Amino acid sequence: MDASIFAIQPTSAEPIYRQIVEQLRRLIAGGQLSPGELLPSVREVAGFHAVNPMTVSRAYGIAESEGLLERLRGKGMAIAAGAGRASTPAQRLALLEPQLADVARQARELELPAESVLRRLGKLMGER
Amino acid sequence: MNAVLQASAESMEAPLQVRGLAHQYGGQPVLAGVDLTLQPGSVLGLIGRNGAGKSTLIRAMLGLLQPQAGECRVFGEAALQLSDRAKVRLAYVPQQPEALAWLTSQQMLDYVGRFYPQWDAAFARTMLRDWDILPNKLLGKLSPGERQRVDLIRALASQPELLVLDEPAAALDPVARRDLLREIALRAGEAGTTVLFSTHIVSDLERVASEIAFLHEGKLLLHCGVDESKERFARLWLPAAMSAAAPGRTLGRRRHADGSLSLVIERDASGQWPEAVNLPGARLDALGLEDLFVEIAG
Repeated sequence: MDASIFAIQPTSAEPIYRQIVEQLRRLIAGGQLSPGELLPSVREVAGFHAVNPMTVSRAYGIAESEGLLERLRGKGMAIAAGAGRASTPAQRLALLEPQLADVARQARELELPAESVLRRLGKLMGER
Repeated sequence: MNAVLQASAESMEAPLQVRGLAHQYGGQPVLAGVDLTLQPGSVLGLIGRNGAGKSTLIRAMLGLLQPQAGECRVFGEAALQLSDRAKVRLAYVPQQPEALAWLTSQQMLDYVGRFYPQWDAAFARTMLRDWDILPNKLLGKLSPGERQRVDLIRALASQPELLVLDEPAAALDPVARRDLLREIALRAGEAGTTVLFSTHIVSDLERVASEIAFLHEGKLLLHCGVDESKERFARLWLPAAMSAAAPGRTLGRRRHADGSLSLVIERDASGQWPEAVNLPGARLDALGLEDLFVEIAG
């Protein structure tokens, strides 16, 4: 895995360190990253995305304290042994809550009924 | 004091510090009492509208302009009487470099490099090539953009402890700009370089800055961490019927034609938004840096 695994949007209202933590959370919960896999170094991520290395190490530090990552001596950060295994569909769904709340608000503003939004969402997900 | 103690005392000095800085041009105040301290290793992005006084602030901080009031220190020394020892540790790139126009890029870099003990000649050569500068063309014949690129190379090759860049993005295409940001980010993170750069391209600042300062009407409106600025502030929109219940003092306040109100609100010490966010019809929007700037300075 290399630094391109992260998609960073500096102009987003969500701080970069949180974008990284949230992406790690989703990738681990979804099984794209499995325990033991090594993460790109802070320098690689900072260099690739031209972001401040302190931001990246802050993100890694938070993910480590939440048990998503563990520091392997001499090797760097890896996906923690226990990370992801316990995640149920309900826990994974909870990770989508902010985005869903946003869609719900916008759908209400557009006066769209839930079923047409759901139908469209189902279609979008099926296309992949 | 022995050498080790002296070295550690030096490294504790704030690379840049100003207090009570005030300046005016022709009776028109530009800086109206600015206080600012830059800690070692921080990357400060200075934002402000055109004519807000960013260049004046930078020049005064470095002792290139004598302010009418206030104190400016560079590595603890008075900015107007910097020693050569302090000058070697800092590099400054003005918006429109003009010095040494009768030399070619290569001659200028060779000449200037002799003054800096840490000069990285290999880096200078690589960057000239990467940034498409003909080494044997006279500086005076370069376009303003090329001229500033050469000066950025000069500044970076000296491996300064303090790097001050006035609108560096103006001269660079998006690829070269990304190169520069990468250099800034990695040097700050690894060599502990302290960086101050002014810009109006807010997304550059969001990538590499650790802190931001808004210069507006001669004062620093806000000086805080980039992440903090996104987490601590938000825009509250209130419909006209609720606007009477709006909080009194806010950073930004705009009344719209229909009587509705947009406010910049701030979390309190315990992380809570003001109560007005619970008013019927109220809407809370997260703000990127650019939006925050427009709401406050617009």
